[in-house]
Amino acid sequence: MARRRPTKRARARRAPNRGRRLLVGALLALFGLSVAYGLYLDFDIRAQFDGKRWAVPARVYARPLELYPGLQLSPGELLAELGLLGYRQVSDPGQPGSYARQGGGVLLHTRGFEFSDGAEPGRVLELQFAGGRLSAMRDAQAHRPIDLARLEPLYIGGIYPGHKEDRILVRVDQVPPMLVGALLATEDREFMNHYGVDFRAIARAGLANLRAGRTVQGGSTITQQLVKNYFLSNDRTLWRKANEAVMSLLLEWHYGKEEILEAYLNEVYLGQDGGRAIHGVGLASQFYFGRSVKQLSLPQMATLVALIRGPSYYDPHRQPQRLLARRNHVLQMMASEGLIDEVEAVSASRSGLGVQRRPSSGMSRYPAFMDLVRDQLRRDYRDEDLGSDGLRIFTTLDPAAQQAAEQGLSEQIRRLQPGTADEPARLQGAMVMTRPDTGEVLAVVGGRDPRFPGFNRALNAQRPVGSLIKPAIFLTALSDPARYDLLTAIEDTPLQIPNTDGSVWSPGNYDGTSHGSVPMYQALVHSYNQASVRLGMDLGVERVRDTLVSLGLERSVPAYPSLLLGAVALSPYEIAQIYQTLANGGFRTPLRAIREVLTAEGEPLQRYSLNVSQAVDPAAVAILNSALQEVVRSGTGRGLRAWLAPELHVAGKTGTTDDLRDSWFAGFSGTHLGVVWLGRDDNASINLTGSSGALRVWGQAVSQLRTGSLVLAMPDKVEHVLVDTHSLLLADRACPEVVALAFAADTGPREAASCAQRGPAARTVDWLRGLF
Amino acid sequence: MKRLAVLLVSSVLLAACAAPAPPTGPAAEPRGDAQAGPAASETATSSVVARLLAQARQAERVGDLSATEANLERALRIEPRNARLWHYMARLRMAQKAYPEAASLAAKANSLAQGNRTLQHDNWRLISQALTLQGDSEAAAAAAARAAAFKE
Repeated sequence: MARRRPTKRARARRAPNRGRRLLVGALLALFGLSVAYGLYLDFDIRAQFDGKRWAVPARVYARPLELYPGLQLSPGELLAELGLLGYRQVSDPGQPGSYARQGGGVLLHTRGFEFSDGAEPGRVLELQFAGGRLSAMRDAQAHRPIDLARLEPLYIGGIYPGHKEDRILVRVDQVPPMLVGALLATEDREFMNHYGVDFRAIARAGLANLRAGRTVQGGSTITQQLVKNYFLSNDRTLWRKANEAVMSLLLEWHYGKEEILEAYLNEVYLGQDGGRAIHGVGLASQFYFGRSVKQLSLPQMATLVALIRGPSYYDPHRQPQRLLARRNHVLQMMASEGLIDEVEAVSASRSGLGVQRRPSSGMSRYPAFMDLVRDQLRRDYRDEDLGSDGLRIFTTLDPAAQQAAEQGLSEQIRRLQPGTADEPARLQGAMVMTRPDTGEVLAVVGGRDPRFPGFNRALNAQRPVGSLIKPAIFLTALSDPARYDLLTAIEDTPLQIPNTDGSVWSPGNYDGTSHGSVPMYQALVHSYNQASVRLGMDLGVERVRDTLVSLGLERSVPAYPSLLLGAVALSPYEIAQIYQTLANGGFRTPLRAIREVLTAEGEPLQRYSLNVSQAVDPAAVAILNSALQEVVRSGTGRGLRAWLAPELHVAGKTGTTDDLRDSWFAGFSGTHLGVVWLGRDDNASINLTGSSGALRVWGQAVSQLRTGSLVLAMPDKVEHVLVDTHSLLLADRACPEVVALAFAADTGPREAASCAQRGPAARTVDWLRGLF
Repeated sequence: MKRLAVLLVSSVLLAACAAPAPPTGPAAEPRGDAQAGPAASETATSSVVARLLAQARQAERVGDLSATEANLERALRIEPRNARLWHYMARLRMAQKAYPEAASLAAKANSLAQGNRTLQHDNWRLISQALTLQGDSEAAAAAAARAAAFKE
């Protein structure tokens, strides 16, 4: 039996019901989806808002300059530091951050600073200089002498969250009301009244744009701009705009006007500094005008607001006229809103932009040193912690040493290989400077162009070290004083060493000749390859490698015979760590770039303590160092004499590699240790030896510093004496050719040379006085 | 640590075997104006360091080891070759229970203390204490003997 089909009428009646149900269902589903989507947007925008509010990068500081009577410091050197710190020269230093010259002295009004070990008050100091030193220091207001004062440390850079954004956060009550007024007058007149979206503004803008035929006005509220900033999206589709509108409404629902305004003031994009984006009025004030937001003048405030529309379109350096016009437009808006009167607006319009040419401080003036800071922090902190907690990091950077190192490197490189238009100079280099006694890193230069944050050759360029390795061979020998002292005869003669593949290695000397039997010190002082390799093979390459490890070599290197001539690739920083132990008398001191880390509130989080460990016999090191001093006095390092005062004693070693591809010098005075490398990134020959290249960089850099003469710490039973180079017997000033060498008890010469006028019993260091 | 003990013991033995050294002039004295560090205003700088040291010791007495360390480091940056400062840094490490570090710092102090018998004695005593607390009684005894030699 066939089912009776429903009549057309019945079907027709059922259709609208079904249709209606479908429609209702669809609407419900759409509603449900919208709500869900709305919740998603809500979650998203709140996460952005709350997250960004607290994303403060870590701030990194150089060492604070300590002032005390007796400090080696000239007025010029003090002014250089003050210049970096942004102190202004005035006639009467009434404000912190200013100074006056008074005859030969300086009247300095310091800014205070909260150090972890106490607050340093800002005060007025009267400084007097004499004989290249700070001779007296008085508190000019309390009228009494002061024996110690610290300047605030120089801010050298920030460690940012992943996307390289920097901030100087401001609270809304720290921003001048006039600036807020200018902002609202120009960008969002109805800010205090709307709910996130201002339809009248949109309509107004739409009309204006229609009339003009292009976009001349924006209808976005500040809230909408803030949302747009969070998502960094450039597509202006309707969908995007709708999303942003909804999120603006949600934002206004959750947060108050003041909070939104504050977030905007810290988020607004106002410019670009190379790879670093300038966000927020706090940073922008510093970047464009070199002052804090509280110190901005009326035209300067108007300029910042003017930039909002397009920091690159209105770039102050490339489009100053455009920016000026827009700034004056902002001033007019302010006048029409009643914030300022017409007279002020006109007078402000007449002033120049006042944007500083080269922004002071900033991304970092010292990118190579910052790399080291980041490396050392990474051992203890995750990247996210570094970027988002506002930590304060106090480092060991010495701006004066850094300046000397940079200048030495770039000037000498230019002189050594000036290059032409067709053949750009490809000579590169790096330098590391540290303090011998404490291991503090004073300077790191990563390349000939130190401002450029590129490949950091000081930390990361691993190059064969050549003769720099030799002190490790001689130190190994000297650690056995019964068998070896600096006068022990060794053979500088040809030798052949079989390689594992059957071939034979036959090292030659740099000058192509063999010198026969020579006293050990000569092999080191003149860097004889054959003698060094012979000695190293006698001692055993593994033992030489062990010495290197004791000195601070961390990288594992195979103990092949070629190690003895430095066929091992190390970075300048690694070499500095090794020579540090020599400079510190056999005490291995881990190199430190950071002194301590504080939280944003100033609580100590981590202290990088000063520690040493006794790595090598101090007697052997003292003896070796006396020979390294001779390297500079009469050996391959004697070119340094052209740079240094005659009474300044230093020790060091030159290093040259095969085909003259690398030029090295590692040396130390009483207060500075420096390692220099020169070479080409493509490893081609540079035609320079350690003496003709790196040594000059070292010489120029150190000659620009206050450096102390090296005074070798002679442990018990080690003596520093004069030896006649011909007879190898004890000498005195009467002898024409002498070297000063150290010997352990019961070793070394006992008799006097014929040229000596005193008796052999007088084996004291008196003889060294006045020699050099 | 073992290395340090070996070094210390061997230096003790060497000292015992060697003939007494002829009297030498103070080897580590600064010479001439090229020296960086107090010269013309020697007393003034030393008074700064003395004050920082006094502050450090005061902080140690009240148990503020962090302030002790800060003051000592500040003093050491002004006079890095001052053996007394290194000695106090070693004592600080003892208070912090960092015994290997303490012994090494005392050895560093000794390397700068030529001619100062009292200080060398104090350093060796500290090394001995540090070694005892690390459980190395043999090396500790050797160090104690070295300390005693400076008492005479």
